[in-house]
Amino acid sequence: MSASDLPTKEANVLKGHEGAVLAARFNADGNYCLSCGKDRTIRLWNPHRGIHIKTYKSHGREVRDVHVTPDNSKLVSCGGDRQVFYWDVSTGRVIRKFRGHESEVNAVKFNEYASVAVSAGYDQSLRSWDCRSHSTEPIQIIDTFSDSVMSVCLTKTEIIAGSVDGTVRTFDIRVGREISDNLGQPVNCISLSNDGNCILASCLDSTLRLLDRTTGELLQEYKGHTCRSFKMDCCLTNTDAHVTGGSEDGYVYFWDLVDASVVSRFRAHASVVTSVSYHPKDSCMVTASVDGTIRVWKT
Amino acid sequence: MDERDLVFYGTPIEREEELSSRKKKAVAEASGQLRTLPTWKQEVRDEEGRRRFHGAFTGGYSAGYYNTVGSKEGWAPQTFTSSRKNRAELKQQSILNFLDDDEKADLEGQSLATSTQFDTFGFTASEVARKQADKEPSAIPGPVPDELVLPAAESIGAKLLLKMGWRHGRSIKDSSTDSLYDARREARKAFIAFSSSDDTKSNIDGDANHVNDHSNSLERPVNDDNLSSQYTPLNALQPKQDLHGLGYDPYKHAPEFRGKAGPGFGIGALEEYDIEDEDVYTTAYDFEDTVVQEVEDSSKPITDHKHRLTWKEPGILPGFKVASISDYQVEKFNAPEVPKDFVPRHKFAGPLKVEDKTAVPPPPDVPPPEDSNMKVLIEGVATLVGRCGKLFEDLSREKNQSNPSFGFLMGGNGHEYYERKLWEAQQKYKDQKKLPLPSDGKSSQKTEKMNAENRGKILGERPLERSSSSLVSPDVNLQSNLSDTFMKPLQFSELPEVSKPFKDNSAKQERFQQFLKEKYKGGLRSGESGGASNMSEAVRAQERLDFELAAEALEKANRGQQSNLSAQQSMDFLTSAGMQFTSAGVEQSKDTLDKDFEMKKMYPKREENQWRPSPVLCKRFDLVDPYMGKLPPPPRMRGKIDSLVFKAEFIPVPRIGDKTGQNQNRSSGGLQSSAQGVRDGSADEEEDEVVVDVENVERPVDLYKAIFSDDSDEEAETSKVSKVEDPEKKVEVANATLNRLMAGDFLESLGKELGLEVPPDLPPYSHTNQNPSALEKETTGLNPRDGSSVKMKITEEDRKQGSPPPSEDRMDRRHSKRQRRYDSISDSYSSSSGDDSDRDRYSSKSKGRRKKGSSSRDKKSSSSRKHSRRRHHREDVSREYSSSRSSRRDKDRGESKREKRKRRD
Repeated sequence: MSASDLPTKEANVLKGHEGAVLAARFNADGNYCLSCGKDRTIRLWNPHRGIHIKTYKSHGREVRDVHVTPDNSKLVSCGGDRQVFYWDVSTGRVIRKFRGHESEVNAVKFNEYASVAVSAGYDQSLRSWDCRSHSTEPIQIIDTFSDSVMSVCLTKTEIIAGSVDGTVRTFDIRVGREISDNLGQPVNCISLSNDGNCILASCLDSTLRLLDRTTGELLQEYKGHTCRSFKMDCCLTNTDAHVTGGSEDGYVYFWDLVDASVVSRFRAHASVVTSVSYHPKDSCMVTASVDGTIRVWKT
Repeated sequence: MDERDLVFYGTPIEREEELSSRKKKAVAEASGQLRTLPTWKQEVRDEEGRRRFHGAFTGGYSAGYYNTVGSKEGWAPQTFTSSRKNRAELKQQSILNFLDDDEKADLEGQSLATSTQFDTFGFTASEVARKQADKEPSAIPGPVPDELVLPAAESIGAKLLLKMGWRHGRSIKDSSTDSLYDARREARKAFIAFSSSDDTKSNIDGDANHVNDHSNSLERPVNDDNLSSQYTPLNALQPKQDLHGLGYDPYKHAPEFRGKAGPGFGIGALEEYDIEDEDVYTTAYDFEDTVVQEVEDSSKPITDHKHRLTWKEPGILPGFKVASISDYQVEKFNAPEVPKDFVPRHKFAGPLKVEDKTAVPPPPDVPPPEDSNMKVLIEGVATLVGRCGKLFEDLSREKNQSNPSFGFLMGGNGHEYYERKLWEAQQKYKDQKKLPLPSDGKSSQKTEKMNAENRGKILGERPLERSSSSLVSPDVNLQSNLSDTFMKPLQFSELPEVSKPFKDNSAKQERFQQFLKEKYKGGLRSGESGGASNMSEAVRAQERLDFELAAEALEKANRGQQSNLSAQQSMDFLTSAGMQFTSAGVEQSKDTLDKDFEMKKMYPKREENQWRPSPVLCKRFDLVDPYMGKLPPPPRMRGKIDSLVFKAEFIPVPRIGDKTGQNQNRSSGGLQSSAQGVRDGSADEEEDEVVVDVENVERPVDLYKAIFSDDSDEEAETSKVSKVEDPEKKVEVANATLNRLMAGDFLESLGKELGLEVPPDLPPYSHTNQNPSALEKETTGLNPRDGSSVKMKITEEDRKQGSPPPSEDRMDRRHSKRQRRYDSISDSYSSSSGDDSDRDRYSSKSKGRRKKGSSSRDKKSSSSRKHSRRRHHREDVSREYSSSRSSRRDKDRGESKREKRKRRD
């Protein structure tokens, strides 16, 4: 895939959030997109047609992260009210509220079967919540982190989380082992490559770092953007050929995966780009920003 | 006719005593009721006992004074009695009859307050107005602004002041002295005017008054000072920020929620935002601030325009005025007078070096002639000539024309060397001549051409080593000059004469001296400094390292006497030392250069730890629990050790083992440090053996079950212990005693304190000495002649300094070794906890003393075991173990284990 195929043209602007949009995520097939923000709402969009479909309101504070099950039936969200909300997509009702985090919850993800939601909190812990039973107690609390856990990723067998203490920790459920990769810099966001072999970690020294998961080796560093104080997402493109991430000055950057050169950069928003999400199949991307807009980018 | 058929109108007239008695009764009843019942359950009843729906609209809690009309007695109807003797006066009812005391006071003006007449500044009026506003809600929400309710009529004081020239918004005090006269005049005028107006009529019409005011104020000249200490009502200090109604307290009936919500319960709607909840993103906008600023500016009160006027005066802050008398006076100094003969251009004391150089190109540096006599002669003549001038040369040339040894003067043998020497001498002489003080000369010379090297010398940095064998290019700087100017960073001049580390090899010692001289005194490297010419490159390098080492040791010995090693002693090990030392200076520079690189090399760091997913999590992830069938971690947390317990068993991969070894080393620093203290060469060896054994033994899974659960089983059963697990367990238990050392120590001292007998054959030990050999080593380390201990210390120091370890893999091995030791320790700790409980059960039969004894005995045996473990081989350990332990318990365990197996089957 060449640089010209990168989604740099604005296809749609999704407006509706009042205040900063903190996350925007494609769903599993990429037909819909979810966003959440400081206005305490979660919004469901059709990014390709630019239509706002539904608003989910129940959070008492800003919503920091949202994730949807692969079958699009349930949502899980978290935010400043220290709770994890488990929603029914169609009715827009909260099925369950998982309380237990002692502080704000930064990120949340479903596992593959949508049976467990794992949340990462400012209270330096990961908590996994059971979506099958009626229990609202966490199944397990992982509190080996020594600072706020910013981001979490799940594979079929592992829980991976990045923390401000500079570590990316992989908890392998199958083996029962914790692998901790210390990057030496606060980790803002982690993202898995599509082949599952690498972790892209956004660090607060304005550097994205690509780690080999099996060896813990640092494969590449991507620089050029600004990321010093905000939680900002990063991800790989659907072909794993490029790395993309936002910048605090409103730019979106594309790096070549291998030689770490900035392939493309353009001003996407007026303010901090908080979130980027790449379409699972097509060359399409959504970005969210503090300026309150979500923009859809296509080639 | 029955009473109930009658219809009553009005209040029946009752007889006095009847009434009073009933009243009393009612009161007693009421008070009794009041006493027993809580307020909200009290019912208001009238005299007939009928319930009165009192206060229903005000919430029904309580109304009035104890649910009465406002007095304790209630509202009793007045009686009217009139007789011929004492006629009832015709009472004129007035409003006062129906008012409360405070209302009366208000009405009659009996309360002590400034009357509006004398309420000069409207304090009382505004107070009253505020009270009024509080009492009856007005259309405007919130406290009524004081400006709105200021009294319309002027008080007497205000009137007086106005007539004296005061106006609203000004301070009364007249500060400017020059206006004093005016003020007096005005006052006089005002007094007259006031008295006249007072004469005419006491109740002055407000309008007239105002007119009067106006005329007065118009009369007044506007040259007033700008003092404005206005009466400003106290504004609300806490601006309202929430959306509640005014005065609404959300916590009124739930004061327990006033604090923060407890953790883990989410956030309530009423919870206040913390500082950290502030919108971090808003900082991204710069323009917002400015907008707010503008709004604030425009919203400032209009009274500001007075300030604004004054702003125009230059150099005066708003609200301030210029002081008439100032204590502060700027001291002025005249500029220094420049001497007339001053030339604003720097003159150098001597001609610049460059000119010098261009004028006389230095002759090439040539090696001295072989003949030493000749060399001495040449140098002598050159010095002489350099000092006395060319004339001397000519003279001596003439004199010694026939002398062949002076051929160098005529361009013969050694002429070039002479040329060079002469030039050097001349230069030297010139330098000395230029400035009277040689040191000054040097410094000025240096400042003239300060370069990196010079700076380094001044700062005491050591020169970088050059490749020793390479010849130095003939520099313009003279060797002699340089060697003089180089700093001597250390007191190495007083190098102890004893310290001749290579005295067995005189040539080598000589080279070492040379090396030292170069190292500390600086100067250009002489060609042969790297060692004898016949040495190979490798040997030379090796020697150089030796020298560095020796120099380092010497330096250390010289610098601090705290390490009570004499220089001589520290020298001794050098002959055997094969370690690499690099000079500190070089390494430091490398440090700064490669810091970034180091960072990259250091990160990312990978660590691996054991982690136990909960069974439910595994189930939800559709995975097999890796710890299925194994016991959950013991409920009692033992900190870090807990996570290590199963390590050796579950992570058999050597690569992983090594790495975890390293990282857990780091994590369990506390334990480690105590172990580190004891570490020493021979101890390591032994540890190695033991540990390797532990590692190799395959551990049956049931072991833990046997260990953890056997104490619940019966004692009486007898059986044989399976041989497989036995030795292994023994090693573990032996290791466990290590862990218990601290506790043991404590127990021992406790036992002594309590006067309990402590077994006399207890071998002395401490945390730092684990085996006698180590103890020996330690003591001999103080002996200045002992070489090996010194070596150990040096290596320790070396490690602390962070210089490269002796060999990477060795370190690695040591780490992992230590790690494994900990694994086994913790393992055995858990197993020994089982033992403990066993013993406890036995000892519980006999109380108190016995128990103490057992604990100390346990410690004794453990320590002895430990020592034996160190001293002997594993077999010995196991043998001793079995002998020291009652075989009965082992049997117990074996039996219980078997039972377990049976049960499972």
